[in-house]
Amino acid sequence: MAQRPDAAELLAIARQTLLERLLPALPADQKFDGLMIANALAIAGREIRDQSASQGRVAARLAALYDEVMPSDAAEIAPMLARLEARLARDIRAGRFDGDAALRRTVFEHLWATAQDRVAISNPKALADEPAGDRS
Amino acid sequence: MDDVAGRARLAAWIAQAAGTTSVAIDRLERMSGGAVQENWALDLTLDGAPLALVLRTTAPGAVTESRTRADEWALLRAARSVGVSAPEPLWLCTDPAITGRAFLVMRRLAGIAAGHRLIRNPFIADDRTALVAELGRQLARIHRITPDSHAAAPLGFLGKASFEPASALVRSIRHYLDGRGDAHPALEWGLRWLDQRARPTAEPVLAHRDFRTGNYMVDETGLTGILDWEFAGWSDPHEDLGWFCAKCWRFGAAPEAGGMASRAAFYGGYEAESGRVVDPELVTYWEVMAHARWAAITLQQAERHLSGAQPSLELALTGRITDALELDILAMTGG
Repeated sequence: MAQRPDAAELLAIARQTLLERLLPALPADQKFDGLMIANALAIAGREIRDQSASQGRVAARLAALYDEVMPSDAAEIAPMLARLEARLARDIRAGRFDGDAALRRTVFEHLWATAQDRVAISNPKALADEPAGDRS
Repeated sequence: MDDVAGRARLAAWIAQAAGTTSVAIDRLERMSGGAVQENWALDLTLDGAPLALVLRTTAPGAVTESRTRADEWALLRAARSVGVSAPEPLWLCTDPAITGRAFLVMRRLAGIAAGHRLIRNPFIADDRTALVAELGRQLARIHRITPDSHAAAPLGFLGKASFEPASALVRSIRHYLDGRGDAHPALEWGLRWLDQRARPTAEPVLAHRDFRTGNYMVDETGLTGILDWEFAGWSDPHEDLGWFCAKCWRFGAAPEAGGMASRAAFYGGYEAESGRVVDPELVTYWEVMAHARWAAITLQQAERHLSGAQPSLELALTGRITDALELDILAMTGG
């Protein structure tokens, strides 16, 4: 349904043009602004592409953790997510997952997968730093 | 401040503070730097002699954790009194009528501070092991200032020292999170870990609390000074050791002490000068704390942009650093 080039494609070419044509012409004291704009465009492009799938996975894991049903109406996913994230945050702070090792593992795996998905959008280079499975 | 009338007011105030009639402002130019502090390069001719200075003031509505210019003035003087390499403060103005906000004028240091530039520059800091050992020694001198020491007498604004700085910081970050409308379960995971392992400190010391690559200046001769004293407070000495060695403050470089050299070099300098023994487990604890505290600050900085208080691309992008910090926290506290 989207017109082409779509949002992500427009952002990609805008970023490329900025880097190839504008940045070399910017005075030294404005290059940092140019690089920040390029970064913002890259993040926005990845978010448009990946956000809703990633959010769906987070919601599904939280629904499973709290024994809730995933809403059939997509519009209800975001409010459910906000509610369950708040509940998870409160439970973690209260130490509700300290005792049961299996439950603790499940919660950790959820947090880990969520953080990885988010870093894949905001700074994928940071993913290369994290050794897979190193949780010590 | 940057207009003709502003410069005239500033020159007149400086003349009065310096006790002279002969002051000319040759240059007043905003320096590149953080989104919250404003540093202006100020070149004067005072009594016929050139002075290279920095005028330091705060962007409207600063991070509430940071100190006033008057406090920073006292901290710089106290640090220098125990032999720490820090900019020499010259004049303090608390009257908002001169530039609109309080400001501090200090001697300008030679060199560069910017983390990315420093780490990648092959000519500056060619002996990084020596530099990091020197930074360890400098930190040890800062930590010489304890609440009962003579040097601490003008530092009453720091309040009473807590013997439980770790618990206090966890509490303060949780309190901040509670004031927001959103939830951060990964950060809460880290805070729970920190809360469970918090130990009292045997000896609260003056901690710089932002002692890291990016906040010290280096030229071809080596370290020229330690900057950005606005977050200083009483804490466990390992808070500063942990902040300096934290992964989030290595600018992507491999060496674990500030992205510049080994922990052994850093701890070695610190231990030799302080007579203390560094507890590596405690450093690790405070590295986790560093990530949690910096994560909370990134949320706070993003909010400054989002609320409209200070629209800024830099602040906005800072808000997208939080995700990587949470991933780091999980990597350090999992299992």
